[in-house]
Amino acid sequence: MSLCLVALCVISGCGNPPPLDPPSPYALVQEESSQQSVQAVDQSAINGAQFNRFFPTTDGDYSRVYTQEKQGFAEAKLKQEDMDIAMLSISDTLSNPAARDKFTASKKTIAGFPAVNQGSTGTAILVRDRYQVKVLSRSETFTSENRESWLIKFDLDGLAKLQ
Amino acid sequence: MSKKVIFELVDQLPTNNLTIRALKTLDRVIPGEWENTVGFDNTIRVVTGESDPALIQAIGERAVVLFNDKSQGYQNALWLYQKVDEADKALGTAILANKLSDKVPLMGWVSRLTPRAQKAQTIDLSIKLVVELVAFCQINGIPGDSIGDFVQSLSDYSGESLMRLTALICFDGLIPLGPHFLSSVTETLTNLPPKELTANPVFNRVQNLIPGQNPASKLAFMGESFEATQGWISDFTRDRALTPEKVADNLKTFIDFTEDKLDYLGALLDVSTNYYEHTGIQTLARRLIERAFAET
Repeated sequence: MSLCLVALCVISGCGNPPPLDPPSPYALVQEESSQQSVQAVDQSAINGAQFNRFFPTTDGDYSRVYTQEKQGFAEAKLKQEDMDIAMLSISDTLSNPAARDKFTASKKTIAGFPAVNQGSTGTAILVRDRYQVKVLSRSETFTSENRESWLIKFDLDGLAKLQ
Repeated sequence: MSKKVIFELVDQLPTNNLTIRALKTLDRVIPGEWENTVGFDNTIRVVTGESDPALIQAIGERAVVLFNDKSQGYQNALWLYQKVDEADKALGTAILANKLSDKVPLMGWVSRLTPRAQKAQTIDLSIKLVVELVAFCQINGIPGDSIGDFVQSLSDYSGESLMRLTALICFDGLIPLGPHFLSSVTETLTNLPPKELTANPVFNRVQNLIPGQNPASKLAFMGESFEATQGWISDFTRDRALTPEKVADNLKTFIDFTEDKLDYLGALLDVSTNYYEHTGIQTLARRLIERAFAET
């Protein structure tokens, strides 16, 4: 009997169970997007290969390296003397309509297109209410002015005609 | 560790274990290229340079959605990275247990491993290179057998991707196969009967994603991939004056081994590290986050 009491004391005296971790901030989106029917990319989104020709050309000590190409998305690195200074991208907002919301509230325009600064490293424009063209700084010396000057180097008129 | 919840995978990446210590010995080979970035939100902050919590959340959510869509290829890439390391453990265990022992070893560094073990390590190296190519295309797009594009992209490899290639060359090439590992792979792939490929545990785990209708055509693809990349590997090794001795000396900072056990060091690394999966998850996270921020 005393041995049982001792065992009980030991068991109950093992301490309180550790507090449960708070749920991840991504728990909800994980649950929602894990459903088999959920697709990240709209089936009508433009193939990323069709975006490539609208990217800025480069010369001098700048170079452009394509890095990603998926349906609805194309991305390239902008390098200066082999240093990564920015990421250039075009994406089809059919796949992520919420991305258009930020342009609605903005009075900014670039080359006549609705534009926003995003965070401290991004500047984006929306072409024909569908294609998001974005430049993201990857170097501290690549400023918002630099981002805007590279945004207008895209063939935006050509992109606007893309069906 | 959950195998398929991307933010959990990145959150649970270790900050210090044998894998990390082994990779850090390669800092001397590619100084300043690799930081062991762990944690999902932390990786978003590091990749993007942003710190606003709402923006971090939005980017993270888009990354989770992209990963969970199987058609986007990210889960295939993760599977490849994980399967390679799982098969590595089986191979390394077999070698350490001398299960692949054969007759008396031949003379010379390359032949310290028994011929069967050497062949197994050679095939393992070439399959890993093919897996790197296939995983690259699953993550970044580009047609699955566009070797030319992949070779071009190698020159732009940096960070965790470059660390993975460096570890491949040092731990899976130089250490087990010696300074002539490149010619060893060429010779093996040239003379290997396709049916022997199907007996290889690494190949068996990843073969579905290797381009080719049958073992013979998959073997041809492996040979073609290797031939295309060996120029880059050769230049990389030469430019950094990499030798088995140099790599082994760096490892001696935390692994105690003697010269006569060097031939088993490659197997030991196979068993006790998962550098491919570790850096593969970091590469995957980076690419997802880059795309997620661009699309947000």
